[in-house]
Amino acid sequence: MFTKDNKPEKFRDAETIIGASIKVKGNFHGEGNIVVEGQLEGNLRTEANLFIGDKAKVVANIEAADAIINGEVRGTLKIHQYLALGPTAKIIGDINYSEISIEKGAIINGQIIYVSNSGKPSRHQESQEELSEDEAETE
Amino acid sequence: MNIYIYDDYLNKNKYSRVLNRVEIRLTDLGLNGKIIRLGAIKNIRDVIQNEIKSGAKTIIAVGNNQTVNKIIGAVIDNELYGFFQKNILFSIIPIGDDNSIADSLGIKKEEEACNILLARRVKKIDIGIVNNYYFLNKATIESQGSIIDINGEYIIEPQEKGTISVFNLKSSANDDKNIKVNPIDGKLDVYIKNKGKDLSFLSVSKLKISNEHHPLILDDIIEIKTPADINIIAGKLNVVVGKDRSFE
Repeated sequence: MFTKDNKPEKFRDAETIIGASIKVKGNFHGEGNIVVEGQLEGNLRTEANLFIGDKAKVVANIEAADAIINGEVRGTLKIHQYLALGPTAKIIGDINYSEISIEKGAIINGQIIYVSNSGKPSRHQESQEELSEDEAETE
Repeated sequence: MNIYIYDDYLNKNKYSRVLNRVEIRLTDLGLNGKIIRLGAIKNIRDVIQNEIKSGAKTIIAVGNNQTVNKIIGAVIDNELYGFFQKNILFSIIPIGDDNSIADSLGIKKEEEACNILLARRVKKIDIGIVNNYYFLNKATIESQGSIIDINGEYIIEPQEKGTISVFNLKSSANDDKNIKVNPIDGKLDVYIKNKGKDLSFLSVSKLKISNEHHPLILDDIIEIKTPADINIIAGKLNVVVGKDRSFE
């Protein structure tokens, strides 16, 4: 699982790193861990883990196994296993998750939908949520 | 049979002593062969391919990175003689400066190169290709103004000055320690480094680079105008390597 560090050890050997001085446009599909520190527009999908840094700006629908997000994302998130939103995360769009942790300061503007590992949505749904108090943890 | 290709610059007096040492060592090891001097030849490709057709088994570049680049195409670019080339080995005896390719193959010094040649430790490595030009080490271009197209699926636009390096084989003498390159994985490793510490990385099998103001440079030698399609040919070259090579 992820730690609370900004970038866990496993991202050291990431398959792809999009640095802060890089802009990517289009459908980005990877099989390994991906680190995004720069800008990305389009779609982003990986079979493995995704890390989005605090300076990153992503306008894309995202699909990944696990994800740590500290930057800004505009689009739908579909995280099959574990999603961690850091204190600087800003999500404009719906979130589909199986497990989630949200740190104080994270901003979410959209629906948060629990999807079990079998892929079926549950009745847990929240909308237009902004967390600004204690660290919250759901599921 | 061994074919030794001597580069032009080895005609200078300052290299005569080291060449003598190499030739004596090769004789001692029973690795004599035919010597071809690049200076006297206009079409090296035809000469090398005729030697291959005549039964040459090992082509050895005696010189530096530029020597390798001059002859690598002739060693592998061949449909007509493909049958003869299946088992051709390529090796390097590095002499003088600018020998990072030999270094990354684990060949550090000229006399050590003779022993490595005798040991015949062979790896089948990938080769990068841009238009009709081959590269062993890397293709580089200025970041600013460059657009990288990956399979028509997405494009990458560096926003700052820096360098885009497309690696096939890491040149351990000159390249960043953080860079990991595997020349036997059938992939090109793309590193984008700005003037600061920012480093981007991805691994692809082909890409297209365009830049209106800057050329693409292959192995620090050949300049190519863009747009340029960069591909990789997996396992194309049999190279003789040393133990201290930069890959497994």
